[in-house]
Amino acid sequence: MKNIRNFSIIAHIDHGKSTLADRIIQECGSVTDREMGTQMMDTMDIEQERGITIKAQSVRLNYVKDGKPYILNLIDTPGHVDFSYEVSKSLASSDGALLIVDAAQGVEAQTIANVYMALDNNLEILPVINKIDLPAAEPERVAEEIETSIGIDATDALLVSAKSGIGIKDLLDAIVDRVPEPSGDPDKTTKAIIYDSWFDAYLGAVALVRVFDGEIKKGQAIQLMSNKEVHNVLELMYPHPLKRHNTPSIQSGEIGIVVLGVKEVGIVNVGDTMTDAKEPCAESIGDYEPAKPFVFAGMYPIDTDKFEDLREALDKLRLNDSSLSYEPETSLALGFGFRVGFLGMLHMEVVKERLEREFNLDLIATAPSVVYNVYLNDGTLVEVQNPSELPEVNHIERIEEPYVKATVITPSEYLGNVMNLLVAKRGIQQKMDYLNEERVLLEYEVPMNEIVVGFYDTLKSISKGYASFDYDPTEFKIGDLVKLDVLVAGDVVDALSTVVPRTSSEQRGRALVKDMKEIIPRQLFEVAVQAAIGSRVIARETIKSMGKNVTAKCYGGDITRKRKLLEKQKAGKKRMKSIGKVNLPQEAFMSVLKMD
Amino acid sequence: MLLYIHIPFCDSKCSYCSFNSYVDKFHLKKTYMKALYTQLEHELARYEVQGKVIESVFIGGGTPSTVSAELYAPIFELITPFFKDNIEVTSEVNPNSGTIEWMRGLFNLGVNRLSFGVQSFNNEKLKKLARAHNSDQAKSAITNAKKVGFKNISLDIIYATAFESKALLEEDLKIAFTLPINHLSAYALTIEANTAFEHTPEVALEKLERTQWFLQAIKDHGFEQYEISNFGTYKSKHNLGYWEYKDYIGAGAGAVGFLKDTRYYPLTDIEQYIKTPLSINEETLSAEEILSEKIFLGFRSLIGVDKKILSAYQIQRAEILLEEEKLTFLEGKYYNPDYLLSDELALFLDT
Ligand SMILES: Nc1nc2c(ncn2[C@@H]2O[C@H](COP(=O)(O)OP(=O)(O)O)[C@@H](O)[C@H]2O)c(=O)[nH]1
Ligand SMILES: C[S@@+](CC[C@H](N)C(=O)[O-])C[C@H]1O[C@@H](n2cnc3c(N)ncnc32)[C@H](O)[C@@H]1O
Ligand code: SF4
Repeated sequence: MKNIRNFSIIAHIDHGKSTLADRIIQECGSVTDREMGTQMMDTMDIEQERGITIKAQSVRLNYVKDGKPYILNLIDTPGHVDFSYEVSKSLASSDGALLIVDAAQGVEAQTIANVYMALDNNLEILPVINKIDLPAAEPERVAEEIETSIGIDATDALLVSAKSGIGIKDLLDAIVDRVPEPSGDPDKTTKAIIYDSWFDAYLGAVALVRVFDGEIKKGQAIQLMSNKEVHNVLELMYPHPLKRHNTPSIQSGEIGIVVLGVKEVGIVNVGDTMTDAKEPCAESIGDYEPAKPFVFAGMYPIDTDKFEDLREALDKLRLNDSSLSYEPETSLALGFGFRVGFLGMLHMEVVKERLEREFNLDLIATAPSVVYNVYLNDGTLVEVQNPSELPEVNHIERIEEPYVKATVITPSEYLGNVMNLLVAKRGIQQKMDYLNEERVLLEYEVPMNEIVVGFYDTLKSISKGYASFDYDPTEFKIGDLVKLDVLVAGDVVDALSTVVPRTSSEQRGRALVKDMKEIIPRQLFEVAVQAAIGSRVIARETIKSMGKNVTAKCYGGDITRKRKLLEKQKAGKKRMKSIGKVNLPQEAFMSVLKMD
Repeated sequence: MLLYIHIPFCDSKCSYCSFNSYVDKFHLKKTYMKALYTQLEHELARYEVQGKVIESVFIGGGTPSTVSAELYAPIFELITPFFKDNIEVTSEVNPNSGTIEWMRGLFNLGVNRLSFGVQSFNNEKLKKLARAHNSDQAKSAITNAKKVGFKNISLDIIYATAFESKALLEEDLKIAFTLPINHLSAYALTIEANTAFEHTPEVALEKLERTQWFLQAIKDHGFEQYEISNFGTYKSKHNLGYWEYKDYIGAGAGAVGFLKDTRYYPLTDIEQYIKTPLSINEETLSAEEILSEKIFLGFRSLIGVDKKILSAYQIQRAEILLEEEKLTFLEGKYYNPDYLLSDELALFLDT
């Protein structure tokens, strides 16, 4: 155990986490130059495209320092706040963390959020200033920022360039010297934490674990503490992006992959503790809580016949993403679909994209909503995940909405813009710190409703891309909220309802119907689009009827040609959703997203 | 039963035209007409034509007036025995090749209706369209047709182009109505692949109000609109036959035939056609495709759509249109009062 080092890498997006991980793997000689394709550690297509890590990856490496062999276990963490539960479990499996900060960019919002989590887990933090090869690199200034913003000593920060390989050897030596050796008692009964799990087509549910006490042996009967499920260990492996090694056991302090042959979903869960079935340990490691979705959206197949296909696709996705939750839902406007819960906006986008890309489905996603705690006059609490299900106003005693702690770091020249934005989003300032003369750290309490859609893009655009943002859900607070309905041709389209603050409801209603007018193409009849609160119409636009759609050309007997032209148009219409007599394009459902 | 005969020769190629025709194959006329004869013989047998069952014949192109009356004679000998008594026999004519002799020749063979490809009476616009005739030629050709004895005369106009003002269209109609016509086809310029206009789509320029005015002006003259592009005090039986979904023989390179549920396509390449006039491609239509065609043809014309052929869902949709006064209903059929919306109405039934 003395020769093992378990460490994670934490960083703001684009500061070089993946590049550095690849460089470390290479330095340890675990992968040849030729095998070194584009970024080893991000394996899903979408991960590579978006440059984010969704599933935690791990690799076991061999390293020699001063003639002594060491095992370095690199535990990669998901790179996005949506997956912070998984991040926290990855960190719980580590003993130290490399804090990567871009030498030209400095500390960003995500850096800070990650550090707090690492500190919560009592990890030894090694500040690493990356990209020192850049002409714009300012390592001293960045070191200072680390000290002022996070309060950790950055005098021995490691200066590296993951790209050109500068300082990598020193970094590895520092990992050996400064990351504590694993704690845990090899003589006690088995105790391990599951920090990632996924579904393998051949092996079934697979768990990536860190063993604290005892060992896990092939053939051993183990128990999953949250659900008391008992299973035999079929196989054990050490993780590696290219070549996994089988092993008869995983020892105290080690990480490894455990194959249990479980074919059902929802049994092997991230955060759960694995112990010996015959001699279980007394307490689990930390609290196991299933990942809780924060954002909900309706997902409907455009082609109403595809409901079962959508169910199957969701079932399949859930095999690899236990945080995905969904239940069937019916919309008057959209028919049969699912209300799907997500960990955050990115999670939602990734899921929608995978459903469309990997399962070939055309979907309408309704505007995402947070969960509202609605207290009725008779004292009952209703959790509303779908704005159209908000109870009648006269039954409601109060509505509570979820808040987040939003962390923003911005160059001081955009401070005014950023503060105005946060205020417009009903934010309340908690903290404002100058990291240095040029950069300011802000912490605000903001209703989550205000940041689920468009906030990040707006923040980026008002700060020329320089401000960074992260958030952390906090608590529910009372809010003066109303349901804003949209009526198309006189009928409420349930999928377009949103919950908004009363004070800005009229302005939002007007903006929304204006947008809808641009998006909805002319129809055979005049169509009225209205925004209403309860029975009160607050805004109205009219879409004029169309004058012409016909090809007035001579076809003679070549009627097939004419039919094919019409079929093309029909295919275009199929991508719209017909609601009563009106065809609504998909963008209409997203237009509620763009309200500012 | 209808019969369509295709003549794939033209004196020159117009800028907008993608119809199957050749300007450099005139030497093949004779052999082509022979091949046509061969195919026709075969088709008469295949369609089991017996007795007087052919209701209309249409000779189109290409330019039928590039082929002399003598070359048509054997064909008429072959088909005339099957003509119904009140048959309509139409030929397209181009003003530059539609001489008195040619028209008389066809009249004597039994042609009783002529359709002139005029497009416009404005010489500038004719040039832009690369037509081989001018305004005066068109006027005198049509006057001559009347003299030869034709009672049913039609002309084609192309509108919705970048080459016209409202005044120009007004003038075109004024001239057209001084001529002895009882039918007019007005086509909106459509950009087709493999034409001179293919890469200048901006020459097709439609203003909705202009179109509405133009079509109304034709109707105001007393020419009933019986399809989106067709107007007259006389309605072409051949046109109506297509829209009523009647069977038709299609003879010639680039013609299309139809029998029961199958479309027949003779080869389009003129040399290939001459070699094997009986090698014909087939396209069998599904019930769904047939229904879709009956719907859009019915809405484009005064034929209407029979309620009985529609699915329950389509009827439900049609009833919405009825309520919104976008359709009318009479004796079991839905009718479209505004042909400009016909494609949208057809789409509405299926979405
Ligand atoms: N110049 C320079 N660029 C680097 C260095 N490390 C990473 N990058 C670049 O920074 C970008 C983001 O790196 P990546 O490893 O994907 O960041 P991640 O989002 O934290 O995983 C990529 O374009 C890398 O090539 C470095 O040391 N020097
Ligand atoms: C089969 S075509 C040709 C008839 C004859 N050869 C002529 O040009 O006079 C019949 C009519 O279709 C119309 N037409 C052909 N191509 C067109 C296009 N691209 N757009 C609009 N109308 C077209 C013209 O009015 C033409 O007279
Ligand atoms: S419009 Fe008529 S004359 Fe002109 S190319 Fe086409 S078929 Fe020939």
